[in-house]
Amino acid sequence: MTEKKFAVINPCKICQPMGAIFALMGVKNSMPLIHGSHGCSTYMRFQLGRHFKEAVNVASSSMSEANAVLGGEENLKHAIRNVSRIYGPEIIGVTTSCLSETIGDDVEGIIRLFKTQNDDLPEIVPISTPSYKHTHVEGYDSTVKALVENLATPSKPNSKLNVITGMVSPGDIAETKRILREMGIESIILTDTSESMDAPFDGEVSFVSSAGTTVEELKDTANSFATISLCKHANSAAKFLHEAYGIKSVSPYLPIGLQSTDEFMNELCKLTNKEIPEQITRERGKLIDAMIDAHQHNFGRKVAIYGDPDVVVGFTRFVLELGMIPSIVCTGSESKTFVEDIKAVTKDSKHKPVILAPGDLYDLHQEIKKSKVDLLIGNSYGSRIAGAENIPLIRMGFPIYDRVGAQRITSLGYTAGIRLVDTITNTILDRYFDEFGWALDENTEVDHGEFESSNCIN
Amino acid sequence: MVLNLDTENRKMQDGNNDDDFDLEVKIPNSIFEKLKSIEALKARESQMCVSGKDDSIPTCDKNSTPGMITQRSCVYGGARVVLMPITDAVHLVHGPIGCAACTWDIRGSKSTGDKLYKNGFSTDLQEKDIVFGGEKKLYESILEVNKLYHPGAIFVYSTCVVGLIGDDLKAVCRQAQEATGCRVIPVQSEGFKSFNKTAGHKLACDAMLDYVIGTEEPEEEHPYSINIIGEFNVAGDLWGIIPLYEKMGVKVHTAITGDSTVAKVASAHRSKLNIVQCQKSSNYLASQMEKKYGIPSIKVNFFGLDETTKSLRAVAEFFGDEEMIKRTEELIKSEIKNLRDEISEYKKDLSGRTVAIYSGAHKSWALVSAFGELDMEIIMSGTQNGKPEDYQQIRDHVCEGTLIVDDASSMELVQLLKEYKPDILISGAKEKYLSLKSGIPHCDFNHDRITAFSGYQGFINFARVVHTAVMTPIWRLSRK
Repeated sequence: MTEKKFAVINPCKICQPMGAIFALMGVKNSMPLIHGSHGCSTYMRFQLGRHFKEAVNVASSSMSEANAVLGGEENLKHAIRNVSRIYGPEIIGVTTSCLSETIGDDVEGIIRLFKTQNDDLPEIVPISTPSYKHTHVEGYDSTVKALVENLATPSKPNSKLNVITGMVSPGDIAETKRILREMGIESIILTDTSESMDAPFDGEVSFVSSAGTTVEELKDTANSFATISLCKHANSAAKFLHEAYGIKSVSPYLPIGLQSTDEFMNELCKLTNKEIPEQITRERGKLIDAMIDAHQHNFGRKVAIYGDPDVVVGFTRFVLELGMIPSIVCTGSESKTFVEDIKAVTKDSKHKPVILAPGDLYDLHQEIKKSKVDLLIGNSYGSRIAGAENIPLIRMGFPIYDRVGAQRITSLGYTAGIRLVDTITNTILDRYFDEFGWALDENTEVDHGEFESSNCIN
Repeated sequence: MVLNLDTENRKMQDGNNDDDFDLEVKIPNSIFEKLKSIEALKARESQMCVSGKDDSIPTCDKNSTPGMITQRSCVYGGARVVLMPITDAVHLVHGPIGCAACTWDIRGSKSTGDKLYKNGFSTDLQEKDIVFGGEKKLYESILEVNKLYHPGAIFVYSTCVVGLIGDDLKAVCRQAQEATGCRVIPVQSEGFKSFNKTAGHKLACDAMLDYVIGTEEPEEEHPYSINIIGEFNVAGDLWGIIPLYEKMGVKVHTAITGDSTVAKVASAHRSKLNIVQCQKSSNYLASQMEKKYGIPSIKVNFFGLDETTKSLRAVAEFFGDEEMIKRTEELIKSEIKNLRDEISEYKKDLSGRTVAIYSGAHKSWALVSAFGELDMEIIMSGTQNGKPEDYQQIRDHVCEGTLIVDDASSMELVQLLKEYKPDILISGAKEKYLSLKSGIPHCDFNHDRITAFSGYQGFINFARVVHTAVMTPIWRLSRK
């Protein structure tokens, strides 16, 4: 008996407010405020803190039993007032929870009225994130959308590109910014955790986000020449800006590996009429070089990939480029986009992965038991499966709490691709080869027959 | 009968350390200037006090002010942390996915056997369940997980939204129990029920009292059997305690709940004595077990050499067996023999250093004596969920001039750290990076620690961890 359909066992998703906080941490001088009971803010701070190894501050409206009966309006106003005065943020993102959504607090209305009665408040953005709908990924998406919906103000064109990164690491955002700089493209990153969640030590604690996208930049998103969403599941803000202000919007694959980064670079070129600089071309060549150096070790190896939908699609495509077989892909979201994307990136491969969407890590484990894989790629929670089945795990995505450096892990772009090839190959070498790099007999059964040659690199 | 350990009063008797310690220490003005300027927060002033000035304790056990970044969690969290270490149980969270996803296996509790408790089970309530009710989904989920795992029991936790939609948890659990034959135990732990997660601890204890304890008979009735209550085996703490009692001739029937099984907890009512470690979460359980089953209890503390020794002696004295008393003294002697030397090595570097504690209420005073053994001084102690009796305990344990603080927010904590400049903060993961980013060394005494701190060897581990935190060269190198 392995089939199950009612319970979730070892979730591969979190609830919407988590994504909301994640997005708000990339807005400079911002403070997330969860309209709910303490536990929501506390447990999310705990998870985010141990992932980023940073102090994460999330305010709570501290709802209690009385609020559940009488409504949380007074608590919410009290909380906004206190957050404004004590922490002095430039912007407060008020995210709802299952509690405040279910009792039906009109958060938007409360905030609107409260703002008209008080002229000393910062920007306040209401964000609807009921925890019983969707996942943290949609929570992130709703939040970025709410930020531009509430703040974007058309004035004069700014010759900037809006870039929605999705829930990627600060390292990924820093790398994306570097690529844009190399290209000579001015950008507004939605939202930019590259400094706030990978902050230098200076003996100070910042209670509001110490760095990131500014309120001015958020306002200016209405004046950009285009928006590029690196995550297809985080493109609602792009759609909104297109509908409201006619801003062109594109949503390529998350640029992980060769082809997706190629497509990303091509999109940048098309949007800006610029050419790819020599430096980036050299990085591309080095990635190809790294893939050539590694192919003998990786080809035919089976991989299970789990996590956020766009990240899983990105890695699926990348391991295919390496000649590996993505045997099982799993995400917590019930997402048609994910299924279509997986089908699209694997269409040239003879081997079709088992797609779990929505799936949890129990489902993933059952599938792995059915068809053994050589490698796992995903967050820290997969370490139990890795341990039980004796399969190496490369930690990617969120959360990574049992290793240091989650904030620096980078998977976007050619240069990060080189490091990924190295990491994947060395992991395979460590587990399936002896200390001299000779293949260990009992572990070398890779299925070369399952591959067709159409998976080639251009 | 309740025997109380006569805890040594560590208030300083002589002036030896007066040079190092300013008795005139005041609550930092900067905090109050900030707080006083905010009308709504004036109340915070009463939530801090300095020991020794008068008999006051901080105002406590009140709702947190909305918008302050409190370190508190919720009632559901409180219930879950108490029950989570029961190793062969399914802990099924009835609610939206986040409640389970954020608290799944975060306790750091170790197991010698079953690993079932480490899984994250959720009914993953969706919008339609909120509208039409989640009872059917809960029922089916219970049947499903039972079929998959055949667990010792299924604890079903209620969350905020379940309290609102009014699912009849008890009825569903009863039905499911009839259908499965497995114990299905409702825990009515709606998150918003109280601002103090201690309410969740009590709910967890009630769930054990009502549905588990007393429902099975132990395999053997040992004349000297005990339960260790309020010991959750974080990082393997329990394994530093059990061997000591076994050497004394005492049978540790089970801890409640560290490294326990449902059957062990179910048959805990035949033990001759309860020793209570975390007195915050489990005094209630001990007193109820005394009422119901006549099991006396002793409060113990395994943190530090002296406290461990006292805790061993207390049990030997309780049983009054001459042979056992003799064995206990020999054991203590042999255990401690080499440890004093090891400690004095750490003491060389740690002596005179100052400590701030911000942790669970029990730890906020139970650690005081042990720091004395390292010649370190507590200058601040506080907790997010303290009740008056907890602050009374802190006051009885710490020196004059120690700041006692209730429910400090992130900003308050950082300002206190900057003002007091302790050499180390002892707390949990949420405060860890507040501390490290402020340049204050940190020791995690909560879920995320990796080393056992209980018993004799545990205290050496602790001394090493503190020594590591304080002495790492990076604090010297990072100074501007």
